[in-house]
Amino acid sequence: MTTRTRQFMKYSHTIGLSTMSGRGFYYPVDTAIGEDDRLYTVSRSLDGDPRGIRVTIYDLASEYFGTFGESGEDDGQMIWPTGVARDTQGRTFVSDEFTNRITVFDVDGDFSHSWGKMGSGAGELDGPSGVAFDRDQNLLVVDHHNHRVQRYSQNGIFLSEFGSFGSANGELNLPWGITASSKGDIYVADWRNDRIQQFSPDGEYLASFGRSGRDDGELFRPSSVAVDPDGYVYVADWGNERVQIFDPDGGFVQSIRGEATDSKWAEAFLEINLEEAAARDRANMEPEIKFFNDDPHEESSHIEKYFWAPTSLKLDSEGRMYVTESNRHRVQIYDKA
Amino acid sequence: MVTATKDMQLISHLMRRAGFGVGLPELESLAQNGYNETVNRLLKPTNVQEMTDDLIRRYHHEQSGMMGQNNPGAYWLYKMITTTDPLTEKMALFWHGIFATGYPKITQGKVLNDQIRMFRRYGTGNFRTLLLELSKDPAMIVWLDNHDNHDGAINENFGRELLELFSMGVGNYSEQDIKETARAFTGWTIGNTEYMALRAERDSIWPYGRIAWHFEFKEDDHDSGEKEFLGNTGRLNGDEIIDIICQQESTARFISRHMYHFFVADEPPVPQWPYTPPRDPKAIDTLTQAYFDNDYDIRAMLDILFNSEFFKSEDSWHERVKSPAELVAGILRLTGEFDRPRREILDRSTQAIYMGQHLINPPSVEGWHQGTEWIDTGTLVERLNFASQQMSNVENPGVAEIIGRVIGDGSHQADDSLVQRCLDEMGVTSVSEGTRSILENFAAQNRDLENDATQIVAQMLQMVAATHEFQRA
Repeated sequence: MTTRTRQFMKYSHTIGLSTMSGRGFYYPVDTAIGEDDRLYTVSRSLDGDPRGIRVTIYDLASEYFGTFGESGEDDGQMIWPTGVARDTQGRTFVSDEFTNRITVFDVDGDFSHSWGKMGSGAGELDGPSGVAFDRDQNLLVVDHHNHRVQRYSQNGIFLSEFGSFGSANGELNLPWGITASSKGDIYVADWRNDRIQQFSPDGEYLASFGRSGRDDGELFRPSSVAVDPDGYVYVADWGNERVQIFDPDGGFVQSIRGEATDSKWAEAFLEINLEEAAARDRANMEPEIKFFNDDPHEESSHIEKYFWAPTSLKLDSEGRMYVTESNRHRVQIYDKA
Repeated sequence: MVTATKDMQLISHLMRRAGFGVGLPELESLAQNGYNETVNRLLKPTNVQEMTDDLIRRYHHEQSGMMGQNNPGAYWLYKMITTTDPLTEKMALFWHGIFATGYPKITQGKVLNDQIRMFRRYGTGNFRTLLLELSKDPAMIVWLDNHDNHDGAINENFGRELLELFSMGVGNYSEQDIKETARAFTGWTIGNTEYMALRAERDSIWPYGRIAWHFEFKEDDHDSGEKEFLGNTGRLNGDEIIDIICQQESTARFISRHMYHFFVADEPPVPQWPYTPPRDPKAIDTLTQAYFDNDYDIRAMLDILFNSEFFKSEDSWHERVKSPAELVAGILRLTGEFDRPRREILDRSTQAIYMGQHLINPPSVEGWHQGTEWIDTGTLVERLNFASQQMSNVENPGVAEIIGRVIGDGSHQADDSLVQRCLDEMGVTSVSEGTRSILENFAAQNRDLENDATQIVAQMLQMVAATHEFQRA
């Protein structure tokens, strides 16, 4: 069983391939959906290797359009990219929780400008992670080591902030992902508190749902959240290696463990590596294994189709769901059932 | 000036050998309970705290997916420097050095890390259980080709090393015993053998990264015929071979000598053991007896060892060269640099590689030669530079706290009290007169340069880090 309760979303296809350059991803962490119907996935790569960090451009049909960005600390470069968002002008905003800055690439993928410096004062950053635009097209940045959300103009002028360290309503503990609903409400994946918190457009606390655990409706270290126009909330339940969907009142709707199949890029690899393809065909890709603990991270490391480190969840205007999995170097796509 | 009691000195010695050393505040805390209780708490830790996997994986994605060879070592270093249960990590290091498997053949860090986690779970328990888990360990199976060990076409590699390097040692079995052992372990393999072995051979990360391995017993590939092993006859399977191995005195002596070598004092490299008697035969007798008296229980052997006179002897204090992993972890526990995940962890673990120890990538099936073999002209420079740089960096929170304490009670104002206090803070409980003289002369010269108090203390910490005594456990 990979999907429980009623089927709200159904699997469509997978895009991805583990590559350190060009077509594919290397430890991808977030995906932005552009106004041009193209997808922009940022890869974090691995520490100690300058290769792999980039934004890969492609579309729903797996057509590849190129990359931009690279490893480093100079303009247009990144060390620990974490979040990505696109504005209505076709610019790409990437957060970097190592350099503590937001880097903006223009519509051609060239460096435009950046802002941010280490600190805890207003406008300063300590580990910017999730990013999203609010209804006024200002950028919301999860300033996660400062346990708050900061709002900036697109040129990086600090506008406001909300949130502080703690576990009470409205407080945050190492938050990660963020989104703004069509109504303007702001939802934050309150990672260490194992919950999603909902705030008004001005940052006033409204509601919280999810509690710590591994059962349906429970969360363990959620990384990302998205909300559809009907108010349904979709959560990348990172520590449970699954996606969960909640109704507008916070009621549990569906849990998805992952159903990845070979992507077009994967098929292209296997077509020219026939020996590996044949051995893969003969393998049992869903073996029964007794694990020594209940951490689904173990199961996901053995069974390829399951989500493994789902760091990002996004919805497009058609209601499709895109789940970026850093450890599997791919994006799983689901349609409305 | 702090004057360490004999009990404190003994506890400090214990924590250097059974852990990664302790600074002064932790030593004072442990001393309130005494040596015996400290041993008990090491052997039966409760409420263990460490940097958790979720926190590490959030920032270091390669320490979650572990496709390559360097990040598992960085992950392990996090555990070593943040755990309140250092003996478990030391035992994982101990077994990793004996049951050595390495990246070049396995080509995926996750499977090797899984083996280290197995050492954490079973490394202080029953030796029979540990050997059984080792025989089912996917990394070990592929490392020693047991996936190529088939009914009617045996591969002796695992069987040979099980007897030679993992239990009894050379000279205690015959070539026929090796063949019979290999037969008994036919069918002990990994799931999806063909696909996983091919991916390992090709170092394939495609299409979606590595797939972790799991043990599988293939009954239809197992030789269930009658076998004779060390005088025992029957349709022996692998677990029954391990039963017989564990009953042998040679096994008990082999493991005991390894323990003595790791925790007490240097023994020659394993290949010399058949020809060179133990340094302390009575100690090996004691540990061997503990092995049989306690049903092969490793924890019970450690209990006897840590409470023995041969372990406590002052003659062995600060005489065993710290391995690079021990040295780096011990320093980072003092500096407090990793209060949260930081990118620098990979650099710190790489320093241990420069010093000669690349975790999950030992030089051969024999693991690393310990003791003075860690030291050559190149590695010595790396060791001294790393220790000195880390301990003199006043940006490190642990260093800043030490400096604050030393200045706070005025210990920095006189040369002798400055030296003694910095030794105490860094867990060095005894030094030669030569070392003390050098440190006091340095203190006097440094004071003449009109350095401020922070610089005076930081530079003394830097000097202590370079001493013979600090570089040894």
